[in-house]
Amino acid sequence: MKENAALTYSEVDRTILDTLSPPSGGYWLLIMLLVLGVLAGAACWTYQIFVGIGAGGQNHPVMWGTYIINFVFWVGIAHSGTLISAILYLFRAGWRNPIARAAETMTVFAVSIAGLFPFIHVGRVWVVYYMLPYPNQRNLWPNFQSPLVFDMVAISTYLTVSVLFWYTGMVPDLARAREAAAGLRKKIYAIISLGWTGKHEQWRHYGRGYLFFAALATPLVVSVHSVVSWDFALSVVPSWHSTIFAPYFVAGAIHSGLAMVLTLLIPLRKIFHYERIITMDVLENVAKTIVFTGLIVGYSYGVEHFLAWYSNNTIEKTTFFWRAFGHYRVEFWTMIVCNTVVPLFFFFKKIRTSIPWLFGISILINIGMWYERFVIVVTGVAHDYIPHAWGLYGPSGIELGILVGSFCLFFLFFLLFVKHLPSISMTEMKETVAAGESHGH
Amino acid sequence: MVTDRRVFGVFPNEDKAMDVIQEMAGKPWRLERVHSPFPSHRVAAALKVKKSRVGYFTLAGGFLGFLSGIALAIYTAVQWHLTIWGKPVVAWFPFIIVGFEFTILFSVFGNVLGLLVLGDLPDYDGPELYDPRCSGEHFGILAACPEGEQEGLADFFRSKGGEARVISA
Repeated sequence: MKENAALTYSEVDRTILDTLSPPSGGYWLLIMLLVLGVLAGAACWTYQIFVGIGAGGQNHPVMWGTYIINFVFWVGIAHSGTLISAILYLFRAGWRNPIARAAETMTVFAVSIAGLFPFIHVGRVWVVYYMLPYPNQRNLWPNFQSPLVFDMVAISTYLTVSVLFWYTGMVPDLARAREAAAGLRKKIYAIISLGWTGKHEQWRHYGRGYLFFAALATPLVVSVHSVVSWDFALSVVPSWHSTIFAPYFVAGAIHSGLAMVLTLLIPLRKIFHYERIITMDVLENVAKTIVFTGLIVGYSYGVEHFLAWYSNNTIEKTTFFWRAFGHYRVEFWTMIVCNTVVPLFFFFKKIRTSIPWLFGISILINIGMWYERFVIVVTGVAHDYIPHAWGLYGPSGIELGILVGSFCLFFLFFLLFVKHLPSISMTEMKETVAAGESHGH
Repeated sequence: MVTDRRVFGVFPNEDKAMDVIQEMAGKPWRLERVHSPFPSHRVAAALKVKKSRVGYFTLAGGFLGFLSGIALAIYTAVQWHLTIWGKPVVAWFPFIIVGFEFTILFSVFGNVLGLLVLGDLPDYDGPELYDPRCSGEHFGILAACPEGEQEGLADFFRSKGGEARVISA
């Protein structure tokens, strides 16, 4: 018998609404630790603002260091949320229903955090509004031919669309939470649920609108990481100037995001007793998708190296050789093993249905994907055309502090979310139950 | 048909609500609306619900967005010429990327606006007749009937396994 064979509407509601009950002391302890981590990151940034951008380790020739690595990493994490909530919705993949809300939430928080890094990286953050196209006495406007400005437009669009998609999808659930809550909570849910009552007229427009949201988010997600890749690919730097970058980045983004989905969902499932909703079949399907994206990523690594060899361009060949066997070889091989070899273990059913293996592999992929961005961002410029201008990069303590702070901020947001808003879509789960589907398939 | 009396029925599941909706067709009562905890395709089919026009809002937003994005890029380019060799100041390829992102952004704005306008949201007063259980697992049906038939309609709802509330006009 399947784990979800006897799932009922009331059980769906009860299980999910129970997560909104007052949290335990352990929850607040965890929140406090994460707040401390965020404060440490904020202190590092404050120090950098006062001392100057030199507090970070970026210097000639590696002018993009950990901040841009983090930026690309967090944008990538965001992408699989949209894959699950929008693309798999269009494909009518029922197994995405139990995890779509958490994945969308991950998208919103990850893009928000990614959006912080250009601010941190520009140094003089108080003039960050220069990036906006506003009339000014110097008649100086952003250059819309620059991939960096494409990026600003794309990321702000992505954040806005993700937030609206996430919120719109949650409105019927907020109405359900409103009915179950009391006191101040009830008032808050009443306001944010917009007075939703599930009239058939409301569902008529909602269903259509949600479909359009998914249809619009799908090309957007592909465009956003393509645009991020063009930050690199449109510059004439060996190992960056490549037409494969856009699909390579999109696949990598989804690969890392799916791993983060597992990292978040496995504890969530255990702590909130979601086993009958987020079934092993669902986790298994995420693992299978990771195998698919891992193969694409592995293929992309291969093609990059093949193109360098096949072009017979000395600079390209040297750069790629140095990448694999030079100063950053440990980072390079960490990337290769974690992103392309480790996911292959999911070919074995025993491994992809084992919680410890799923969790462990997801962590390794997260690490590997962070190193992928390190290898891309650092190695090309560290070892480009002119040997006397070569140089090495290592993150400073300030950069590492901000990195830790960003992870703490992400997990802090997520922990606050799971105790205050429905972390699984009750509406979509009820649709699944009504359709009599096993959402594992 | 006089329809100044209303009865609100609450049914424990979709099947029972569907029985009522189907049988209502042959009765002298008018079905006004159905509340459900999720978008029921069976209910929508039985009520012959038309396709929503929210897409027109989305489309209008998309057109506006594309034109805005392209216009912004062109306007700023001609305000401050970045002339590099013989390259065009108004460069279509990069500007289409800006236009594309604005298309998506404004389409979504249009989509949300359409949902709010057509879905009559926000509606904090709520409908006069509603049962909070309809956001959980119950289905609610509001029907109107001529004066004097409200008990008959309520009995019909009860006979179909529901609870009924007779509401005065």
